[in-house]
Amino acid sequence: MRGQMTHLDTDVLAEFRAGLITGRRGGRITAHLGGCERCTALDEQLAGVRSLLASVPAPAMPDSVAQRLEVVLAAEVAQRNAAGQAAVRGAAAPADQAERAGGDGARGPSASRRPGGNRGFRLLALRVLAPVAAVVVLGAGVYGLSHLNLGSSSSSAASSTAGGAARSAPSAVAGARSAEHANAPAAGPSRGTTPQSRGITPASFSLVTGQRNLTQAGLAQQVRAELLVPVSARSTKTPPRKLRGCVARLADGHVLKLVESVRFEGRPATLIVARTGARDTAWIAAPDCSDTYSHVLATTTLPSGISGP
Amino acid sequence: MPDEAAPADYELLRRHVAGDADAFGELFRRHRDRLWAVALRTLCDPDEAADALQDAMVSAFRRAGDFRGESAVTTWLHRIVVNASLDRLRRRAARPALSTGDEQAFEALVAQDGDPARTSDTRLDVDAALRLLPPQQRAALVLVDMLGFSVADTAAILDTSPGTVKSRCARARARLLPHLAHLQGNRSPGRSVSPAQGGDTA
Repeated sequence: MRGQMTHLDTDVLAEFRAGLITGRRGGRITAHLGGCERCTALDEQLAGVRSLLASVPAPAMPDSVAQRLEVVLAAEVAQRNAAGQAAVRGAAAPADQAERAGGDGARGPSASRRPGGNRGFRLLALRVLAPVAAVVVLGAGVYGLSHLNLGSSSSSAASSTAGGAARSAPSAVAGARSAEHANAPAAGPSRGTTPQSRGITPASFSLVTGQRNLTQAGLAQQVRAELLVPVSARSTKTPPRKLRGCVARLADGHVLKLVESVRFEGRPATLIVARTGARDTAWIAAPDCSDTYSHVLATTTLPSGISGP
Repeated sequence: MPDEAAPADYELLRRHVAGDADAFGELFRRHRDRLWAVALRTLCDPDEAADALQDAMVSAFRRAGDFRGESAVTTWLHRIVVNASLDRLRRRAARPALSTGDEQAFEALVAQDGDPARTSDTRLDVDAALRLLPPQQRAALVLVDMLGFSVADTAAILDTSPGTVKSRCARARARLLPHLAHLQGNRSPGRSVSPAQGGDTA
């Protein structure tokens, strides 16, 4: 048998083992392998390549990639929701009203349509990050209203990061929360434990001790990323009394999802996230925020679907 | 592909198309490690793989309504990921990329590719060797030999014939042989030979 054909080429053997060579030619290869140690050894090595490849475990997706994809996915969901709402609003709202909504005239609860009724269609073209940006702008409206609620607003002028433009775009959802703040009497730390509150209440939360630097520009995305890390996996401490008061005042009985010490635009601050109805609200509180002083540096809202701790 | 989760996958996709905000995320999370492995092994670059996977995820999210059920949902998802990965490889083909089969870069890669914690791992050598393959061969090999897809499913993912998949895998194995033969003694004992050693299952 040996000598009936020359030694087998690696490619030929590989094709044979892949089932690509059959019939008489395949029979000759089988016969040759039966009598040729050299080609049998090559055949075994080739089989070993497959075995080796199969033995390498599939790499798990790194957490950083997983978090990034979750943020993008959340933005896609928000965009799809916005597109659906825009279609509904667009059918009802004349275009000129929508255009006007960008100006100072469209302020306050009387603007029953969200600003940018027409903007929803534009969002469709702006791809992934557009709805995030829209959320930030809408959420920033809270800043303006919270700011009005300060009572001592003159003392916080230095931290006016949300800017005047934000006031022209109040969010119906966030605005409603702020209206509650405005109507609420000065609140103590115990005020958060209302009978209807569920889960973590402001009286019992832990402060996650982080060093993350958040920025106004990417706030919604950054908050989403923070929410994806379970509190149980992070170091926490008991929050100081002043912060408990601040959280109780801001979250106001809503279920807390996260309270974390962060930096905001490089300065110490506290991130507070609570489930507020259909959307979560995130506040960036200044260090002097307390039960009598809602010193909010920035705010945003998020779809409540983000998995929280 | 025999996939026990297929009905649930399809249900999640259906719910997503119907407007469920959470369904797609659940579906994607369920398969993300394998999708990541496909992108990473096809692109041989974590940053590129993350970009490709993001492109693919967004594409799948938006095009879910186009899914007609001719294949398993997992096959459909992998197809989108592979296409996104190969698109990226094509786009960067102008660069003198290591991924296109640069033999000369092999030794340098083995020396450079950094994480000391795994330098003793065969994975490092396998990763480096994979870069020697043309992208289409590499994609086929990764799916069949590393992720255990059948030839038929791989053909569906790569939008080609089973014969072409077999051919690409065969050439890829032959090409890798000289680079991996030295590792075969290092395999963990008791590791069984991959399925259908005597020939690729169709």
